[in-house]
Amino acid sequence: MIATNVRRLSVYLVLSFAAVSGALAWWQVLDAHTLAARQDNPQVIAARRSAPRGSIFDARGQLLASSVVVDGISRRTYVDTAFTHVIGYASLRFGATGVERAWDDLLTGRSDPNPLGDVLNDILDRAAPSRDVTLTIDRRLQDFAAAQLAGNVGAVVAIDPRTGAILATVSSPTYDATGFSGDPASAQGPWDAVLGAAGNPFLDRVRLGHYTPGSTLKVLTAAAALDSGTITPETTYPDQPQQEVDGFVVSGFTIREHDLGSVTPALWPLSPALQVSSNIFFAHVGLELGPERFLEYARRFGFCSGLRIGSDERGLPVDPSYVSGRADAGCAPFLDAVELANAAFGQARVAVTPLQMALLAAAVANDGVVPEPYVVRDLRSHAADAAAGPTSLVLETYGGGGRRVISGQAASQLRAAMVDAVHGPIGRLYAGAADIARFGLSGISTAGKTGTAERGPGLAPHSWFIGFAPAQVGAAPSIAIAVIIEGGGTGSGRAAPIGGAVMAEWLRLSGEGG
Amino acid sequence: MQAVSRPVELRMLLPLVVLVPLGFAVTNIARTDVLDPGPMGLAIGYVALVIGAHLALRLVGNRGDQLLLPAAAAIGAVGIVMLNRLPQSLFGTDVFGVELGMATTQLLWFAVGLTAMVAVATLYRDDGILRHYKYSWALAGALLLVITFLFGREVNGARLWIYIGPVGFQPGEAIKIVLVVFIAAYLAEKRALLSEASARIGPIRIPPLPYLLPMVAIFVIVMLIVVVSRDLGTALLFLGIFLTMLFVATGRRSYVLLGLLLFVVGSFVAYNLFGHVRVRVDNWIDPFADPSGTGYQTVQALYAFGRGGLFGEGLGQGLPSISGRLPIPALPTDFIFAAVAEELGLIGAFALLALAMVLVFRGLRTAMLARDDFSAMLAVGLTVSLGLQTLIIAAGNVKLVPLTGITFPFVSYGGSSLLASFVVVGLLLAISHRSAVDAAVEGRGP
Repeated sequence: MIATNVRRLSVYLVLSFAAVSGALAWWQVLDAHTLAARQDNPQVIAARRSAPRGSIFDARGQLLASSVVVDGISRRTYVDTAFTHVIGYASLRFGATGVERAWDDLLTGRSDPNPLGDVLNDILDRAAPSRDVTLTIDRRLQDFAAAQLAGNVGAVVAIDPRTGAILATVSSPTYDATGFSGDPASAQGPWDAVLGAAGNPFLDRVRLGHYTPGSTLKVLTAAAALDSGTITPETTYPDQPQQEVDGFVVSGFTIREHDLGSVTPALWPLSPALQVSSNIFFAHVGLELGPERFLEYARRFGFCSGLRIGSDERGLPVDPSYVSGRADAGCAPFLDAVELANAAFGQARVAVTPLQMALLAAAVANDGVVPEPYVVRDLRSHAADAAAGPTSLVLETYGGGGRRVISGQAASQLRAAMVDAVHGPIGRLYAGAADIARFGLSGISTAGKTGTAERGPGLAPHSWFIGFAPAQVGAAPSIAIAVIIEGGGTGSGRAAPIGGAVMAEWLRLSGEGG
Repeated sequence: MQAVSRPVELRMLLPLVVLVPLGFAVTNIARTDVLDPGPMGLAIGYVALVIGAHLALRLVGNRGDQLLLPAAAAIGAVGIVMLNRLPQSLFGTDVFGVELGMATTQLLWFAVGLTAMVAVATLYRDDGILRHYKYSWALAGALLLVITFLFGREVNGARLWIYIGPVGFQPGEAIKIVLVVFIAAYLAEKRALLSEASARIGPIRIPPLPYLLPMVAIFVIVMLIVVVSRDLGTALLFLGIFLTMLFVATGRRSYVLLGLLLFVVGSFVAYNLFGHVRVRVDNWIDPFADPSGTGYQTVQALYAFGRGGLFGEGLGQGLPSISGRLPIPALPTDFIFAAVAEELGLIGAFALLALAMVLVFRGLRTAMLARDDFSAMLAVGLTVSLGLQTLIIAAGNVKLVPLTGITFPFVSYGGSSLLASFVVVGLLLAISHRSAVDAAVEGRGP
């Protein structure tokens, strides 16, 4: 009797030992790579300290970051402060950010891009060699954008709408990370200097800045309305002309038009409404869309959840953008019709990142398909002489896919309206500064939308521009952009000319400007 | 007392003669690039102790199981090699003005433990001492509990230590054995009664209430230990031993389920009542919520497992210290398993668990071959005390259950634990010796 029970007991004990063994295998093998990627892992700290860290190059093989090991300590040098936010830093004292963090294990050779390589390295008890990273960014465009932004607090982000490749991503003010990425003993001073500098230089405004988008969000409202059939390019609202003067009363709250200047209110369909940036028109559109559909389209474009530049397992995190305030699981429900009407023209509890707005423009440019952004183009074997450029041995390439969010027809209708918003008779008054013709390129149309994001009494509004080029009929846009100048005033005044200049520069550099 | 040969035991111990000095040499070279002959004395000392214990068992004519000692000695060897490889000042002791390092202290406890093992294996001939005075033993255990509560020293929020002069010990380890003796004696006596069902609550059959009383009493004692000494691990271990023995005695899973249910309820109450319990449980659920604060040790242990990978970093080549400090302060005690897994890998950790299973299964075999119910129950309880303790601490290390501060038998640093574990092996040797002798008398061969 006892013997029988002991036998039964032994089965339970074996199962218990098996459970512990299973958990052991989980941490030691199956989930080891997750643990190995965590910043406070002593292994990560040790590898960062002494490994001959891989270099980082721009799209044309120009050196951006390299390391030398001096006295057993790896010292990092960053060539260009325009890249600080996207590349980040790898500091022995202060951890790592940006590409340095997301690609840390490959740069330091803690893991192999090939899972079989990891097993092989483990068996042979050897470290994986460090790897070099090549970005999608052309240093010439990045520097140009940085120069345009210099002296302002703000951000510029440009994407190839066809592929999702980041062409430029600049946040201002920036800082030099070299000072605290070398010898940890002398890192504190340079770090404190950046910490104490005005304008919070550590913040990558492209990914982590939250801004009221103002009228640039009308592109989202229009996209949703056109795709869902809520409006056509000819739809008008009979009450709208009078409401431009008297205001539009929604649930007892009066929505007022912005200062139209010399423009006389009329019965406007989409194109002129986008050109004058009519709040009344888009309030009507938003109310007709309804809160659910508005939120659904926002989510499709990537709002309401965190994004990645790169893939989920390896990429730079981008803060979520909200159209209706923040809730645990994304966007909060709209409080009432007043909030919905205001959100439709980019006010109320709307908070967006510049990257999200660039993706919005890119989706319209790319025939209704929102591209997946990425900034690391490939991974290569380590070049012993970094100054001589990257090696030709490409180990891994990265690239985004895309996701259709609106129909091609809706995209081309919206694109035509956005071209009018830059080139049209009224649009020229607001966004003409983005016209590429002003920057020495002819025969090319620009599509865009300015925004003047109100921030409350006493604060200068944020100046916004989103757009893409070339946008004339038959052309495939090769650059989409979002520009924000904090407290920069009107969109037409500050952001639009920077947007136009950067796009023109890119077309020139890539040979599309003729 | 007639000398016997124990050839299997000797053969199984021989690899240690080579492996232990090799382990010391490897860790030594890995850490300092030179072979320092100093610590080799410890390796030779360990081998000498183990072989000495084997010879002593032969001399006193013990015919008990020949795999118990090799399994325990092999597990202990992993422990002493790891402890020697860590900074020695962590748990040094001062004995009559002579400072001893951690590994040296542990070796002394091995000497004490192995001596106790041989003594117990030899002197425990008449089970009446244990069986007939079971309530006295229980009372003694309870007294020890009370003494610990009144005069114990609080370490890490738990009152577990009693100090007599400079020598401290954990009464919990002694109580564990006393508890097993009491339960074994009680169950051997009341087994038939407890197996019979006389009432039903739904699908659960319950025995007559008077026979339930000891279980309730024990449960109260276990909960008392939680309340008084804040020692979750020991509470869980005691309850596990009790329920397992009850299961073996009666073959009824409902007891175990009922006990576990009570434990869950008790744990829930403790979670809401005591801050330190809450911290442990919260840490278990998500140690990464506070990776540099309360979750620090757990997180660092997980990193150690991750670093180890399949084949380990190699003996002496792990990363257990950052600029001279241990990332896991309780590494030599609560987290020694993580250190072993880091340096010997998944393979080595599996091997260690396999050795523990060998010990457990030889113990269970001893129980199955025992000549009477009391001996069988005693062997089961003792074996389970080692097996469950190993499981609870290993499972705690790999975050399968909340971490509790109990030792990994034979591996963790700690004298009380080592002594108690060897006493358990000694009792098992005595029980299997008697079975072998009785079987030989009946002419059924050894």
